[in-house]
Amino acid sequence: MTATRVRKFDGGTWLADAPVGLWTLARWAGTAAVVLFFIFPMIFMLMVSFKTQPDIASGGLIPEEWFWQNYPDAWNSVAVGTYLRNSIVAATLGALVTLVIAVPATHAIVRYRVGGKFLPAFILATYVAPPIVALFPLFFLLRSIGLVNTLFGMALVYGVMNLPVAFWLLSSFVRRLPEELEDAARIDGAGYGSVLLRITVPLLMPGIISTGIICLILAYNEFLLASFLTRSESTQTLPVGLSLYQGDRQLRYGQMSVASLIGIVPVYLLAMFFQRWLIRGLTAGSTR
Amino acid sequence: MAGVEVRNIYKSFGPVEVIHGIDVEIADKELVVLVGPSGCGKSTLLRMIAGLEDITAGEISIGDTVVNRVAAKDRNIAMVFQSYALYPHMTVYRNMSFGLRMRKIPKDEQDRRIRWAAEVLELTDYLKRYPRQLSGGQRQRVAMGRALVREPIAFLFDEPLSNLDAQLRVQMRTEIRELHQRLQTTMIYVTHDQVEAMTLADRIVVMRDGYIEQVGAPGHVYDRPANTFVAGFIGSPQMNLLPGTLGPDGTIALEGGVTVRHTESLAAEAGRNVLYGIRPEDLQLVGEGEGIAFGVDVVETTGREIELFGTLGARRVCVLLQARAEVRPGETVWINPDPERAHVFDAESGVRLDAAGQG
Repeated sequence: MTATRVRKFDGGTWLADAPVGLWTLARWAGTAAVVLFFIFPMIFMLMVSFKTQPDIASGGLIPEEWFWQNYPDAWNSVAVGTYLRNSIVAATLGALVTLVIAVPATHAIVRYRVGGKFLPAFILATYVAPPIVALFPLFFLLRSIGLVNTLFGMALVYGVMNLPVAFWLLSSFVRRLPEELEDAARIDGAGYGSVLLRITVPLLMPGIISTGIICLILAYNEFLLASFLTRSESTQTLPVGLSLYQGDRQLRYGQMSVASLIGIVPVYLLAMFFQRWLIRGLTAGSTR
Repeated sequence: MAGVEVRNIYKSFGPVEVIHGIDVEIADKELVVLVGPSGCGKSTLLRMIAGLEDITAGEISIGDTVVNRVAAKDRNIAMVFQSYALYPHMTVYRNMSFGLRMRKIPKDEQDRRIRWAAEVLELTDYLKRYPRQLSGGQRQRVAMGRALVREPIAFLFDEPLSNLDAQLRVQMRTEIRELHQRLQTTMIYVTHDQVEAMTLADRIVVMRDGYIEQVGAPGHVYDRPANTFVAGFIGSPQMNLLPGTLGPDGTIALEGGVTVRHTESLAAEAGRNVLYGIRPEDLQLVGEGEGIAFGVDVVETTGREIELFGTLGARRVCVLLQARAEVRPGETVWINPDPERAHVFDAESGVRLDAAGQG
């Protein structure tokens, strides 16, 4: 049976119109259901941002009346802009710190087996410990170098915090790089640094960017360490800012939703912008 | 320009020893082919010469310098890999210039060498392309070009033609040979293809299981294989190896009651169990009753030659006929082994029973 006709995409080019069968329709329906499941909290939050406080308390998805006032109120009662800027700065710097350390480290561990079998296992093991364990040591370490309550201090903490994740993500990319490319570069006269910078890093770029984005998002979403290590409006990040919508007597859910939606925008833009870049296979045509 | 000397080289990966004390001397401007089945250690040996693998024990010199502790980047050798290993993020031009940039060769000199190599390898129209935009044969040429522009003291080739189709492989083989004649540079070439080894080499090094089985000119290795492994490995179709007992007066009694002759001076060894080796092309068809009866089971025609498979005495044997002959499966024909071309090996050790064979 052919319900309708659509153009099919084979990953590279559009093929001619192809008939759509029942199976394809079922797959679309399935995909739609999964997408809806994941997007529903977002929709719910969007709806809450248009509700009055009593309307929120009464439940239901669609607002009884569309209450726009949450938007200016959210912006005026808490310094959303500053928090957003702080988050972006701390997370971006943090991701850069992670990459600068993780790329050469992962390359050395995977390619030259630095640290044998112990080091990779140890790196991952550190990630298993709950972050709260690190809270006091980090606080005292930061204080001793005068970086408590600074964005740079937060960037440093995030940079180190995400190293295990970055190592774990990058190692699979490094393993997939043909070793012979590095051998060829060494024979062509490149030392370790040149091989890394001229061959490995350019070819790892898709992996480096996706790892960077993931680390950035992890740092961007981090609440616990930020709430403890920063104290002033000029350094607090958005997750900490969101917690400030809790007033003396009530939680301002509507405004909180507004601020949350604003906070999501940069992450979504980032993911959308790099999506196409990430799937481009850079290594095509290098070997065989 | 320099020769390469490998002295008593050992290589272990952890507890596993893969090369067990090898000596090879490669003269300046010589093209030596390391050949052997996969896992024989030939690529490992090449990678040690290149500086890509550590040497467990022994010494490697290039020119007059012991290079054991010289990094790959400082050995001034060039290598062509089986997978080509082209830098995918660089154009053909940049691929070729990479080694020159690393060595800080002046820009105009870089350009001169690349234009020259591109001319030689017919790549001039492709200099601005990326590897992914090239065919397999073109990528192979770029890999060669990258080595060529370096003007190294020696070229190393690690099975560079294995990923090409048969026709291109034959063509590139000739080009590599031409290139060697033109450049007059030392080349060490690794392959598992004995035809490639025979056609390319000034000298062949036959390896197995981390040992060298024989070293010599292709003709010598073919005509006087040092042992049954080399006898079987070099030459296609393979040499026939038939068990028998050495008799007096240059005869061998094969299993199945057939007696053949040889011209080796082995009279004193009478009674010894041997393997009688005869290449398929050294068995000639003769008139009925004049030679040994040979029951033909299979006839294969390549166009130029005819291969007959059948039984001689009690063993399966291949006969290669250069001339057209009307032979059908099931027929019995008469063949005559050329005693001058017969090989005799010890049945147990497989070693050639003629001292001159080692030369």
